[in-house]
Parts: sequence; C-alpha cells; structure tokens
Amino acid sequence: MHGLTEMTKVEFVVPGRDAPSIRALITAAGATGYTAVSGVSGIGHHGQHSGALLFNDYDTLTMLITVLPPERAEELITAARELFTTCSGVMFVTDTYVSRPDYFQ
Amino acid sequence: MSLLIQAHVAQAAHDVIAVWPIGSFIALNPLAAHESTRFENIHEPGITLTQTLPRYRAQYASGRITRPDLISALHERIGELDGFPVLELGRMAWSAAEILVEEMLRSDSRPPTPRTLSAADPLEQHVTKWVAAFVDPDAQWPIPGRRDGFYSAWHALSVHDPHLSRLARRRIRSLPDQALPALTAALTHLGVADGATVQTLTAELAALPGWTSYLKWRSEHSGDIDLTEYLAVRLALRHALDLPPRPLSPRPGPDGDHPPDPAKELWARAEQISATLSPSPTRAEVAMVARVLILHPPTDHPFTWQAAYESHYRTALVQSITYGTAAPGRPTVQVVMCIDPRSEGVRRHLESHPGLETLGFAGFFGVPVRFTSFQGRGAVDSLPALLRPRHAVTESPTSPQRAHRRSRGLRFLDAAAHALHATENATATPFALAETAGWFYGATTFTRTLAPGLHHTLTRTWRTLIAPPSPSEVTVSDAFSLEERVTLAEAAVTMMGLHQFAPLIVLTGHRSTSINNLYQSALDCGACGGNPGAVNARAAAAIFNDPTVRAALAPRGITIPEDTVFVAALHDTVADTITVLDPHLVPDTHATELAEFIVHARAAADHLVRERATTLPGAHPHQSLARLRARAHDWAEVYPELGLAGNAAMIIGPREMTASANLHRRVFLHSYRTEMDPDGTGLETILTAPMIVAQWINHQYYFSTLNPDVLSAGTKTIHNAIGGIGVLAGHSGDLRRGLPWQSVAVGDTLLHEPVRLSVIVQAPLERIGDIISGNQVLRDLFDNDWITLTARPSPTTPWHRYTRYGWASQPTRTHKKENR
Repeated sequence: MHGLTEMTKVEFVVPGRDAPSIRALITAAGATGYTAVSGVSGIGHHGQHSGALLFNDYDTLTMLITVLPPERAEELITAARELFTTCSGVMFVTDTYVSRPDYFQ
Repeated sequence: MSLLIQAHVAQAAHDVIAVWPIGSFIALNPLAAHESTRFENIHEPGITLTQTLPRYRAQYASGRITRPDLISALHERIGELDGFPVLELGRMAWSAAEILVEEMLRSDSRPPTPRTLSAADPLEQHVTKWVAAFVDPDAQWPIPGRRDGFYSAWHALSVHDPHLSRLARRRIRSLPDQALPALTAALTHLGVADGATVQTLTAELAALPGWTSYLKWRSEHSGDIDLTEYLAVRLALRHALDLPPRPLSPRPGPDGDHPPDPAKELWARAEQISATLSPSPTRAEVAMVARVLILHPPTDHPFTWQAAYESHYRTALVQSITYGTAAPGRPTVQVVMCIDPRSEGVRRHLESHPGLETLGFAGFFGVPVRFTSFQGRGAVDSLPALLRPRHAVTESPTSPQRAHRRSRGLRFLDAAAHALHATENATATPFALAETAGWFYGATTFTRTLAPGLHHTLTRTWRTLIAPPSPSEVTVSDAFSLEERVTLAEAAVTMMGLHQFAPLIVLTGHRSTSINNLYQSALDCGACGGNPGAVNARAAAAIFNDPTVRAALAPRGITIPEDTVFVAALHDTVADTITVLDPHLVPDTHATELAEFIVHARAAADHLVRERATTLPGAHPHQSLARLRARAHDWAEVYPELGLAGNAAMIIGPREMTASANLHRRVFLHSYRTEMDPDGTGLETILTAPMIVAQWINHQYYFSTLNPDVLSAGTKTIHNAIGGIGVLAGHSGDLRRGLPWQSVAVGDTLLHEPVRLSVIVQAPLERIGDIISGNQVLRDLFDNDWITLTARPSPTTPWHRYTRYGWASQPTRTHKKENR
C-alpha cells in the first residue's frame, strides 16, 4: 500500500494501576516504543468511566498503543490474552501500515 | 514462552499492594486488591476483618454498642427483616430483629482461628540476605554487578557463596544468566506444569509479603529490581537446594465454615433461642424462630456487630452536625489547613478568635510538586501517591549574601559529619575517636537523655550560628505555565468553597517532629507523599499572590481583592506550633494582622497541647508545656504524638456544619460549598482524591489494629531499619508492613477504634450518585461496604444513607450523645 510496510498495532485499555505490567510486556516483546493516554473515558464491562481526574492518575483507565512487526506481535498478543484471563482490560489488534519501518524493528 | 512467563508473573503479582518505603511512608489499604469484592466476602488467609465477639460484647456491656445500634445494623444488612411479621413467643411479641439481637448476645463465641505459622523455609534466609544487600541504599560495599540487575548480579556471585553446597552452586551455574529465561528453566526443573505456574508464583510471592510489596513499589518507581528477577532468584534457589515449590495456603471459602448439617445446626440454634425467650416453646414457635435465624448465619454476626459499632459513632456524629450559618461579614483572617484529623483541634482553638475563619483542604493545596531545595541533595515528591510528579519546583534565595553564608556553613557541617562518619567506620580510627572525643559524646548523650529539650535548643542554636537561615522563595513560574497555575488556583477555590477572601489567608501545611523514630514520615502529611507540607503551602501562596494569576481568575468569576495576601505556614503536630514561612514575602501592609495571628496561634497551640496530653500515653495536662513539647526531641519517646489514631470519618461541607462540635481530632474535614461548584467537578475531585487518601489512611489503621502480627509492623522496640526502606522485627526475616503497634495501641489497650471511614457530605444526592456511577473506584468502595456514605442536600433536609440500591433514610437517636 503506497510503499508502506505492514505492521501490527496493539491497543490496550487497562486500569492505570495495571499499566506497568502491560508496559513491561510491550518492552519485553521488543517494541521500540508505545503511546500512553491516561484518563480514558467510556462505558464498558465494568460500567462507566468518567475519564481524567484532576488529582488521581491511579484510578483512571489508561490506553497503551504500540506498533510492532507481525512476527513479534504474536507473542505479545498471546501473553496479553493470558494476562486478561485474570485482570481487567481490553485489547484491540489491527493491521496497520507505517512509512518508516526501521523505527519499529 | 518468556513473554508468557512474564504475563504469569504479572498475574501472580496483581493482588500484591505496592508498599512505599518508610522514608516516605504512605498509608494504604493493605487489602486494596480486594476492593471490588464485598468487604465481608474476603477470605485472606491469616487476616482478620473484624474484632472478636468477646470484644464486641464488652463494648455492648459498656454502652459503646447499644441494642438500637444492633437493630439498626440488622435492618441495614438484611432487607427481608422489614417485611417480617411480629412473632408471639410465650406471652411476648418479638420483632425478627429483636430475636436476632437475642441470639447475637447469647451465641457462643468461636475462638479466633490461630494464625498457623509455617515451618521456617530454608530458602528465606538466602533470599532475604541477597535482596537486602541489593536494595540497601547505604551499603558500605555495594553489591558487584548491580547494574546488570538483581538476578544477574546474584547469579554471578552466588556461585562463590560458601553457604551453598557445591552441587547447589553447580546447578546455579548451569542456569541462564538472565532472569526471564532462568525463571522459565527453573520452573521446568521443578516440574511445575503450565497450568500451575501462576499458582506457584503466587505462593512464592506470598512467602515474604513485606519484601514482595516493597519490591513491587520499587519496580514501579526506581526500576532497578522487579518481581520477575526476585522470582527468578527464588525458584533458581529452590532448584539448586532441591526444595519443592511452596504450596499455596488454602483460602477458606465461605463454605469452609459451614457445619456438616446446616439444617440441624439451624434447628439447634432456634431451640436454644426459643428456650430463652419462652419457658416452654412449641415446635411451631421453634420453627418460626428458625425462619428468622436463617437470615443471619453465625458467620455474619461479627460483621453485624461491626456495623452496629460503626453506626453508633456515625449516628452521634451526624446528630452533632448543626444547621449553623456562616458568620456575617468579611473575616479578618482565614486559615486553610490540611484535612488531616489533627488539624481539627487547631482549627477549633483558632476559631475562638473573633473574625478568624478556618477551612480544610488537602495538605498539598492542589499543587503537586517534585521539590529540590536550594542546598538540597536530590528531590522530594511532595504530592499525593495518586499522582505522578510532573512539575519540578526549586528554591531561589532572595538574599545572595545570606545564601552564600548559609551554603558555607552547611558545607562545613556536611564535611564534619562526613569526617565523623568515616572515622567511625574505618578499621582503627574508632579507637582514637573514642579516646579523643568520647568525653564530649558522653556529655551530649547524657544531656540528650536527661534533658532532651535543652539538648535540642543547644543543637539548634549551634547549627543556626554556623549556618544561619537564608530567605528564599519557590520558583513556581518555571514549573507551571500560567494556564496551569490558573487552573490549579480555580480548582482549589472551587473545591474548598472559598466564597470570600480575608485580607490575610494563611495556607498551613503540617509536619511532625520526632527523633529516633523510623516512622516519622507516617506522621507527616499523607497528601504530600509522607513529607512536610511546607513547600506546597509556599508554592500555593506564590500562585495565589501572583497578579497575573489573579487577573486570569477574574474572568472565571473568582475575584481576589487587591488587599488579600496569602501567607504560607507550617503546623508542627507534636508541638502544635504554627510557624510562618517566608515572612520576608509578607508586605508591610499586613504585618499587623500577621503579628496578631501569630500571637493567637501561639495561645491556641498551648491549649491544644494540654488537650492532647489527656490522651497521650505518659503525658499529663498538668505537665509544663516545655516538657510536653520536649517529647519531640526525646530519643526514647515512642509516643511523640498519636498521629491519626482514632480517625473515623470525613466530612465534606462548609465549616459551619461542624463549628460548634468537638470532633476530638477524629474527622477529616474538607470544606465544600455546593453553590460554588454547579457542575460537581470539585466534588468529584474531592471524592476521587482526598477521600481516597483518607480511606487509605483509615484502612491502614483499621487493619494494623486488627492484625498486629500480619498487617502491623509490631512493636517499635525491636525494629531494625534497612536504610530508609523498611524495618525488620529482629535481625532477619520479612519486612514488616503497616503501622507500628505504638501507632494504634499502648500495651493491650487500643488507642485506635477500628471503624471503617464514615463519609458525610452536604451536596445534592443526585450529584453524588452521578459521581459514584462514573467512577469505578467509588462504586467499589461504597457498594462493597469498604466505607459508608451519608449525605443531605442542604442544611434543612434530612440525612440519607447511600446503599447499593439507592438512598435510604439515616437512623436517628433520640438522645444526643458524645461522639467518643
């Protein structure tokens, strides 16, 4: 597609207190980086989440987004699925395309 | 495979609550991982959730719990009781609740299940030795290879450990030198099946819960060690020492306490109660009683007792709240203090001064900072544990000459201390030191022991002569953009309902002073991350005094008069003195008001010190003020103050609600005015931040009181410190968690009443409900009975109690009683 390189994008929405575990998995999977968005709002399995709180980073939801080569994503997805069998959170996996693949290798 | 193991580690560590080091002690709910579970449904091995039945019965006998309290608690807990008909037993009519009360007063008490101590695991000695060596910040000989991480450093060194057999060392050598592959290999060697991995890792983490909790904190903050490495060392050692994996303690489920034949047991209970209520009960009467008793199994009795115990206090507290109105006119001085219960005493005494008004706000004054002082080494995170530091504030001297002199003096003191430390720790020099300076240290030790106040005065004078204080100011404009400063100021004004501004507004943080006290930071400000709140008060005053901030606030509807000056101050919770910070920044126009305030604050402090002496172990109100205050400098004093012992409630509303009541320093007081917060944002912030911190503190005291062996740090007298990390009881073993026993009790007498936090709010019920609905942490805490919520929309409307099914009317008592 337009000379872009196919990658896998993995997005997690987890309680802020569980974000360190996900970040550790992303790092261990060999991802070169991630984007974190704290204070995510919405409605889900556990009800409503009002979003960012002025003086509490701990009890809000955090979204973590990472992009990595498909062959490396497989192990991360398997590990995250295992983690979500006992911890709350959701994961979205999509194919994506990047213009600078060396940034994600 | 490695990532999967890492996921298993995360699963096993999910319920581990990270514990802050004692150098910046943060009170936490030690069972916070279970907050999504109903309080009474938690089954944690070895942990008690309530008091014992004999203790409850003793409180019933003393009047601390009354029959109406029990009936009210039963109705709150058992909805079916409301529709139950009155029962005729003998010649008397009994309500179902009364029958249940009769059983609670009579039923046999089961002795508490003794904590089963497992046999000492030979692994622990090895593990604690290496972990302590790795994390000790003051190690004289840092562990080699530390940069490679805990597991790698251990792997490289343990193959030379003479305490391990040759076979064990050979097995360790054969393992990979990286943590994750080594953990995987060790699990394989130990024969742990894939399906049992999480359970095995959970059991290993539970072996030393104190160390595990600290390492979790450390992995999230400094990152030089994590639980994967810790588990890798543990399981590698198990493999090397030929020890099987640690079995997981069985969790007694709710079914575990049930008798073999519930029907027979119920009938026996019914017969027993019927016989006490009727001389010759018929079979039909026993059956009627059984239908009542089935609603309240014996396993529920302690929780009903606890609810009644808490209801007694809460009902009296609610009834002590008045319909008072704010004093008319503009106050001359407003003092904003931390919500900490200790502030309530100061506020009560300060308010005796006409024209003085007090407010309560979280002790970091809405300004979360990472602070580096002018001459300081390293930074301090002075902010709630709920926040990550984002704003680095420094200190700038306002007098370069005095700053230079102070720096020179501090360098001299530092060099002297360093030289002394080096001399004490070298091989031969300690003998020479003892010969030459021993007489001097002997004299100072003598003075310090027999006259701690004098020793403190002499030391302070000497240090002040060498390094006189230098005026300075904090540099908020570098750390916060104008928009951030305006937002923080607006949030603070909205949250505390500051609807009018006095000419002098004193923002008063707090600190505690004591020596030889490893838990000193537990007495400092919890909202400031276990640090004194001075820098936050100074930063907040600087923000509010900034003309550009005031100009930006005006379009937002907040007009701070030109003649209003904000001043920072610090309340010492041992001496109860209030010290004005940065007096050089106060304009001359306000010097008179400030001087009057200082005089009045001194008188209030004297009254409060005497008031507190009535409950402080070893103190007496007739002792001199100097002697009472010298406790702060007595190195043998284990009760410098009572801290937050007794904390029981949090009231969110205007001060006039509580101004006429003596709350005995048991209540977190957060000022709030509904009319200043039309969209409820301020209330949401209060409920999701200050209230969460108050809840953490409350549960830390609650569980430390009920579980002295497991969730309390035990007696201070046998504590050994590991740097600023934590304490051991004795010379080895696990890090102790929770508060020391002296924070909650004296001997066998409790200083702290174990009650869950009663939150009381004056705000529209619909708004409160919406806020709870939007925040899972609040739903968990209120719906699962970790804390309670009582609210009224306005001073003229009745109180309502929050339940998971909606608002219910709050029980009242006909006779008003004292809150304690």
